[in-house]
Amino acid sequence: MIVTVTLNPAVDEEYLVPEFRPGGWFRASKVQRSPGGKGINVSLVLKQLGLETAAMGFLAGFSGEYIRDVLRKTQITTNFLHVRGETRTNVYIVDEVGKVETGLAEPGPYISEEEIARFVSNYERILKRTSLVVLGGSLPPGIPQDFYCELIRIARQRDIPTFIDAAGAPLLAALDEGPTYAKVDQRFMGSYEGVSLNSLDNLIEAVTRVHALGVEWVIASYRTYGNVFFTPEGIFLAEFDRKGIVSMFGSGESLVAGLILSDKEGMDTRGRILFGMAAALENALHVEKGVRDRAAVEKLIPRIRLEKLS
Amino acid sequence: MRICEVMDRDLTALSPDTTLSEAIEVLTRHRVSGIPVVDSTGRVLGFVSEKDIVKAALPGYFDYLQDPSFIPDYGQFQKRLKKIGHDPISKVMAKDVVSFSEEDSDFYVAITLIRNHLKRAPVVRDGILVGVVNRADLLERIMMEEEPPSFA
Repeated sequence: MIVTVTLNPAVDEEYLVPEFRPGGWFRASKVQRSPGGKGINVSLVLKQLGLETAAMGFLAGFSGEYIRDVLRKTQITTNFLHVRGETRTNVYIVDEVGKVETGLAEPGPYISEEEIARFVSNYERILKRTSLVVLGGSLPPGIPQDFYCELIRIARQRDIPTFIDAAGAPLLAALDEGPTYAKVDQRFMGSYEGVSLNSLDNLIEAVTRVHALGVEWVIASYRTYGNVFFTPEGIFLAEFDRKGIVSMFGSGESLVAGLILSDKEGMDTRGRILFGMAAALENALHVEKGVRDRAAVEKLIPRIRLEKLS
Repeated sequence: MRICEVMDRDLTALSPDTTLSEAIEVLTRHRVSGIPVVDSTGRVLGFVSEKDIVKAALPGYFDYLQDPSFIPDYGQFQKRLKKIGHDPISKVMAKDVVSFSEEDSDFYVAITLIRNHLKRAPVVRDGILVGVVNRADLLERIMMEEEPPSFA
């Protein structure tokens, strides 16, 4: 079973507001509410693609119950720890006219040491039946910045591969522990070890350095619609054009889910990148997070430009 | 319909050495009346419900009382509950657990729950916890299902 860890889940609220600008009063033409947080999003997309996962992490309050309810109805296995406080709400404002996305995030509930210990014992228990761990997103208050390190170490002791999709200090700390896959979200991370991630050459340098830490696959976003992949078979650049794109919200997690599913099915490196990118593109073609289904993803593979850089 | 389509795929569980006070906290925080007790591999060892905890906090002679109005005062109950708060749940959990497999029919599960006066029970695969069934969810499901054709 694949386990996704979301330490700081969120209720994602997407508001479609034509011509949004700060300082005004607007009416949303559409509102989309869904459970979120990187790990949960990966679980939801994998479910849409037909793969079972178990989602774990911390939930709190009314928003936490909402998330658990939706996951339950979607028949995703859950093992969340319910804590005091309130799970955060993340607000995204999508302006279809100006093609601009604005985001607002809350910090999330405080997690006590006792609760962390309880989570770790749940994590160790579930690992007995786990083939891959996906760790995603920010850390709520109370969780030490190097917590992902510990989770990766525990998984590695049991020979279970890990996929981390995070940013900032928690990601940097985790990279030292050598996860199997790492996705570096450039939106939240302008530079790596002093190397600015704005040009392709710099990106290649950064992913090469991360790879040297023992990370087999490194994925870093490039421009708006592209990603650089450092794989055991070389460095690739994959991109798609912006035709029909409504919102990139959740696309990163669809990419992660696509890479996981294609790996499970034994596709080769190129096939995996193409499938993952097609899942990301499919996600971006509608306001709703996630993908419609597998057929819709496969149809988009011809739209992915894949180039081997070295 | 198979129970795996109705069950709650939640793996919330306690280990046998969890204290009663921690178990009470988890029950309230998760808003459930009972939780499976599992070993470090997820194998179901028992089931602890609020009923078991209440029973443990009541004096031993409670079973002989015909009427709960004979119950000692609130203060005494609280004192006993706090006293056993540090005990492990293995002391009070039901060890003879009614559990189901994912292939069991919703009807069979509903009847078994009703017959055993249970609200919740674990669903296992090879002894390992994979979910929980709730009596209320089952009732709702049975209510929604189409009635079988009548041959009368």
